[in-house]
Amino acid sequence: MKKSCAFVVVAGLLCLGAGSTFAGEIPIGHLNAFTGPTSDVGAHYGPAVIDAVNYVNKNGGIAGQTIKLDTVDYGYNAPRAVATYKGWKSDLKPVAIQGWGTADTEALVRFVTEDQIPYISASYSGHLTDPVGSSSHAKFAAPYNFYYSPSYSDACRGLVQWAMDDWKAKGGKGKPKYVHMGDNHPYPNAPKDACNAYAEELGFEVLPPIVYSLKPADAKAQCLTLKDTGAQYAYLGNTSGSNISLIKSCSTVGVDTQFLANIWGWDETAITAAGPAGNGVAWVVGATPWDEAKKNPMMKAISAMSDPEGKEYRALHYIRGACSTMFMVDAITKAAKAGKIDGPAIKAAMESMTDYVPKGLEGVCLPSTWTATDHRSTTHIPVYKSNLDGEQVQMTKQAEVLVPRRPEWLGW
Amino acid sequence: MSSGQSLRPCGDFRTSYARDTTVFATPFTRNFALTFMVALLFAPLVFNGYYLTLLIQIGCFGIAALGLNIVVGFTGQISLGHAAFFGFGAFASAWLNNRFGIPVALAIPLSGVLTLLVGLGVGIPAGRIKGLYLAIATLASQFILEDFFSRAEWFTGGSSGAMADSFRLFDVPFSSERSYFFVVYAFVLVLYLLATNLMRTRDGRALVAVRDHYLSAEIMGINLTRYRILSFGLSAFYAGIGGALYGHFLGFVSAEQFTIVLSIQFLGMVIIGGLGSISGSLLGTAFMVLLPEVMEAGVGMISGSFPGLNQALAYIKEMAIGLAIVLFLLFEPDGLAHRWQRIKAYWKLYPFAY
Repeated sequence: MKKSCAFVVVAGLLCLGAGSTFAGEIPIGHLNAFTGPTSDVGAHYGPAVIDAVNYVNKNGGIAGQTIKLDTVDYGYNAPRAVATYKGWKSDLKPVAIQGWGTADTEALVRFVTEDQIPYISASYSGHLTDPVGSSSHAKFAAPYNFYYSPSYSDACRGLVQWAMDDWKAKGGKGKPKYVHMGDNHPYPNAPKDACNAYAEELGFEVLPPIVYSLKPADAKAQCLTLKDTGAQYAYLGNTSGSNISLIKSCSTVGVDTQFLANIWGWDETAITAAGPAGNGVAWVVGATPWDEAKKNPMMKAISAMSDPEGKEYRALHYIRGACSTMFMVDAITKAAKAGKIDGPAIKAAMESMTDYVPKGLEGVCLPSTWTATDHRSTTHIPVYKSNLDGEQVQMTKQAEVLVPRRPEWLGW
Repeated sequence: MSSGQSLRPCGDFRTSYARDTTVFATPFTRNFALTFMVALLFAPLVFNGYYLTLLIQIGCFGIAALGLNIVVGFTGQISLGHAAFFGFGAFASAWLNNRFGIPVALAIPLSGVLTLLVGLGVGIPAGRIKGLYLAIATLASQFILEDFFSRAEWFTGGSSGAMADSFRLFDVPFSSERSYFFVVYAFVLVLYLLATNLMRTRDGRALVAVRDHYLSAEIMGINLTRYRILSFGLSAFYAGIGGALYGHFLGFVSAEQFTIVLSIQFLGMVIIGGLGSISGSLLGTAFMVLLPEVMEAGVGMISGSFPGLNQALAYIKEMAIGLAIVLFLLFEPDGLAHRWQRIKAYWKLYPFAY
């Protein structure tokens, strides 16, 4: 009898617990990949979102209301993300969502547009930057999609622009060869056509793309192909875990290509793990590295939420996660001041930001701009190169490339 | 099945073949099943979206699992490529709807027919090989179809996947969980009845004969090749419809859903439910769908008292699911359908349980 009573109580709690929101709470959905092929970077980004929200809640919340964050690990499985979204719609009823991958974010565009829920993704796919669908390249209009960072396409354009300057500076003769590498998956594919077109325009000979797995695996076959093509510059479209194994394989095979990694494709962990093989990789950095960032009191306080002793070194992805969340928080604050916290109000608040940096995170996050017709937050591309000196990770800024904001590149 | 008939009242002899092959063994089981089905119709009034989503998933996967049970449980073949058929149905239905504007209500059965054709193709080698060789042949079909999904832009949208419209009937949209539940319910009902009846026909018995002893079956005049291929075709038909229903429910179909892992899960469903049992297919599916959710709820409760363990708990959950399946197979190798018979027998014979 006792047992069955306990069962009824538990079942009752489960029914009640499934997403009841109390008055004075702002429901936010949070999709993250602690597991699956992108967990290498998800393990940094996800905790940052949670820490930032905890920080906000601890410091009085937003307009007297606390954020109710529902974090779901969807394992980088797009259908599971769609299913989670459907679940949220019936019980959490989020006013905004912190999302993750390209496949799921692009799959959800139609839903969030219909339901008017601002969706701040960690996918920086160029397809998500056109809020009206006016560009000829746009696959769809994505009025409720936002992200903090240059788009994959613009970042890749910045890298090839840097590569061309690098080629000229080194006194290279003739047409340099460029190749796109990545898994056959929406995330590595996102900038492929856009960036190949720009590379060609800049005077590169663009070679057929090389596919390597998003799950870390031996990639000697791909490295041999790369060696055979004789490409001088190769874009790496996968996340850092996968790139570590690729770069190690390529060093075994003896490839001397200059690698250009995307924003998720290279970080402190990768520099340490790849060892000397990874020296000289050029990549895009979307935030101030930790050694500088930790001097900012707010950033330090956010990190202290899960690391009170302040011992942890925070990777670049963590800092971007915190920035992305604080942009959203500032937009909600603005919406609350205007009188209403709902999807359209938060969208309007986001779109009113011009060269904006979240309050308190000056010097940490890149200034970003969103308008009602253009969701390319920034086209300034900071290009860095890495070096491992013993155990010391060195990240040196090479250039700040300004990619032109062409209207026909919107949504591409 | 025989254990079900052992519950017949004393003196209830069956004097004709027709009476021996009724769908329900006794009037009580019939009434019980009918009551349950009617009660289920009220589920959308009682449950919230989360529970209805689970029921819809059980329905979609349950249809596909029944298809696999036709091949594995009834015909005694093996298939490691069932998820690919499930995916093919989902893509085919979205494609028929997006490309040709065929209404979803029609695209779903049509996609079943398209998948049936693919299944017949895959079944051709199955007509000639057995056992482990067959397992590898079906595994190959899984990989071929998976690769096709991620490359055939015209059919599946390539690696970005395809959008699937919601189900409509006479311009009434069935897009919410509440309304879509009835669509899935209707398909489950019709397809489960069809399969039950199939097993009462000559063709159904021929499938079972192929399973029980292929040589004897052949001597009795059963064309082995024909029935093996037929069973693959039928199983693909079920998988296709299940997949199409699932695709239109999610609104999005992507190649990464239909991996070998899902194929193995389907096998898990029919083994846990009971090989060669129609109702077992549904019970096994319910078990496989609900187990992770129960674990998730458990983890949710524990993580409340141990904050910071969230990431570790994700792994513990996955391991616990594996462990539960192993324990289940150790202690209930005949499946949930058998356990259900035991429970019925217990009440029927109470207090003389022997």
